[in-house]
Amino acid sequence: MLNKYLEELCLLCAASGNEKAVREYICENIKHYADSIKIDPLGSVIAEKKGRKQSPKKLMISAHMDEVGLIITYINDDGTMQIAPVGGIDASVVIGRPVVVGDNNINGVIGAKPVHLLNSNQRKELPKFSELYLDIGAKNKKQAEELISLGTYVHFLPSFNIIGDIKVCSKALDDRIGCAIMLELIKEEIPYDVTFAFLVQEEVGLRGAKAAAFSVNPDIAIVLEATTAADISGANGDAKVCSLGNGPVVSFMDRSTIYDRELYNLAFAECKRMDIPCQTKTRIAGGNDSGAIHMSRGGVRTIAVSAPCRYLHSPSSVADLNDIQNCLKLTKAMIEKAVEI
Amino acid sequence: MNLLEILDNLSSVDGVSGNENNAGMTALSLLKKYCPDAYIDKMGNVIGNIYSNDKKAPHILLDAHLDQVGFIVTSITEEGFIKVGNVGGLDMRLMPAQNVIIHGKKAINGVIASIPPHLSGDEQKVLDITDLLIDTGYSKSELSEIISLGNRVTFDTPFMKLANECIAAHSLDDRCGIASIIYALELISDNEIPYNLTVLFSSQEEVGECGAETAVYNINPDIAIAVDVSFALSHNDDPIKCGKINAGPMIGISPTLSKEISDSLIDTAKSNNIPWQTEIMNGTTGTNADRFSVSRGGVKSCTLSIPLRYMHTPSEIISVTDVQNTGKLLAEWIRRSVSC
Repeated sequence: MLNKYLEELCLLCAASGNEKAVREYICENIKHYADSIKIDPLGSVIAEKKGRKQSPKKLMISAHMDEVGLIITYINDDGTMQIAPVGGIDASVVIGRPVVVGDNNINGVIGAKPVHLLNSNQRKELPKFSELYLDIGAKNKKQAEELISLGTYVHFLPSFNIIGDIKVCSKALDDRIGCAIMLELIKEEIPYDVTFAFLVQEEVGLRGAKAAAFSVNPDIAIVLEATTAADISGANGDAKVCSLGNGPVVSFMDRSTIYDRELYNLAFAECKRMDIPCQTKTRIAGGNDSGAIHMSRGGVRTIAVSAPCRYLHSPSSVADLNDIQNCLKLTKAMIEKAVEI
Repeated sequence: MNLLEILDNLSSVDGVSGNENNAGMTALSLLKKYCPDAYIDKMGNVIGNIYSNDKKAPHILLDAHLDQVGFIVTSITEEGFIKVGNVGGLDMRLMPAQNVIIHGKKAINGVIASIPPHLSGDEQKVLDITDLLIDTGYSKSELSEIISLGNRVTFDTPFMKLANECIAAHSLDDRCGIASIIYALELISDNEIPYNLTVLFSSQEEVGECGAETAVYNINPDIAIAVDVSFALSHNDDPIKCGKINAGPMIGISPTLSKEISDSLIDTAKSNNIPWQTEIMNGTTGTNADRFSVSRGGVKSCTLSIPLRYMHTPSEIISVTDVQNTGKLLAEWIRRSVSC
């Protein structure tokens, strides 16, 4: 079921601020399991699930629904369109790509001047976003305006491939992995009450998390994420940051948060007890909703459990299905233990 | 005839230069309807003939190339990543995180490795081909069972319909040329033609027009037309260097091409109200016509180009209407009797 949720979630398009498709999918899939479901003013889904016992501390588990994407900022006279990134994306993973545009799934391409017409300097220069444009085949501005409007979202073309024996290649693994794990958790009997928060707008500054953390007002938070792995040929030692197949990633610190040390130690102890692999990040890099949650109101003890993921924020990120399964196991164990610390 | 379906079929099979077999089989089966004796030669060229009742009638060669640009596997690293060389001219700026298919004992999915913005910092640069790594999810030992050095790799992008009769796919250069010739054959299939006609879907154009070189020697035509693609104007492009999409086939005019054939194509387009544009070049054309014109004692040659945006990228765009008009122009031109 976890893998089916993941596939269906990854095939949906939901750039930050445009999370509707994922929100509807989630509401549909939790309605029989959650004790209450609320959608907050920003669009985050906040679902309460009763456990066997009332929790001594309020626990929130979160993942973000949004993905990186593009937004149309201008229509050129020739019918092409200027675009801007929504979230952190390198222009090199956008140029030359097939994309889908807007709610009606119009096909398009991010154009790349043919290599034949580039001089030797241009060939070695990374493209800039301001030089990229979207081509949907429209013959002029008027025809383009009939098909789209300014502010329309553009998404990487959905695709979901199992590669090798146990790895998955898709857009939006960041953070549909977290959403899929939460959908699985909410179906199960859990030891303590949990608030599940499916958040909006992580990729544009952890904004959904800030508002939801205030509303939920948790004592402890577990953030489920996909985090950046660089374990490719040529990357040695700490430059790998973390590696696929080596289990859930639990960081002590990243660019957004210094994590609660007791929760950090607990995560490793639980993995050891259950005999599943666990790793930390070997560079201080990246960040996630923890950055907003741990500073909410008077402070929240926070830990992030992440699946290692290569080529994050691209149309083709790669993760290991065993790692995702082990993130689920660790999170389940943490529900019981985290509220008892 | 469903031209869209033919374009979809042709651009969905692999045929990186030197390994055109799959594309060749698809093109061969399309061609056999009109040339029952069509075959694949030892260079991988697909060749078929339509004979006139007059054995002395001029011999015309219609060509489009079968191969596409791509990669070739050069090694597998200890960590199980594939290293590649380029086959044909590729844009290295757009490589990170491209989906690819590796054509080994079976076709497997892979993705070109990249370092995400969270980690790359200011040290980003355009990679050299020798720096590319393809991630397949397999270990080196598993991969060695499936992949051999020399296997080809293609981009994995789907065939897409866009607005205004446009389509996008990764090997429209030059599968759309093949489709236009098939369309022309359909249009003339009921006519007696004043020529002996040979159709050539040539191999290895992208690595130096090798298939065309040997095929034209064997075919020994009087007149040859290379149907290929050329640059279509897109945003911020130089209009002097580009044709326009949906404005019809681009008829080549160049010192290396036959003025007589260029003029007869223009006349045919004019008298049949087929939209057309010119492609003016000042020397060689970068197409198979460069090989045809100097074959044996010389062959009157011309180019007919379908305007295409984003050449050699995973998302090339053309208009189906242009393919149709290219086929129409070829058909009307063949129906005319041109002396030579």
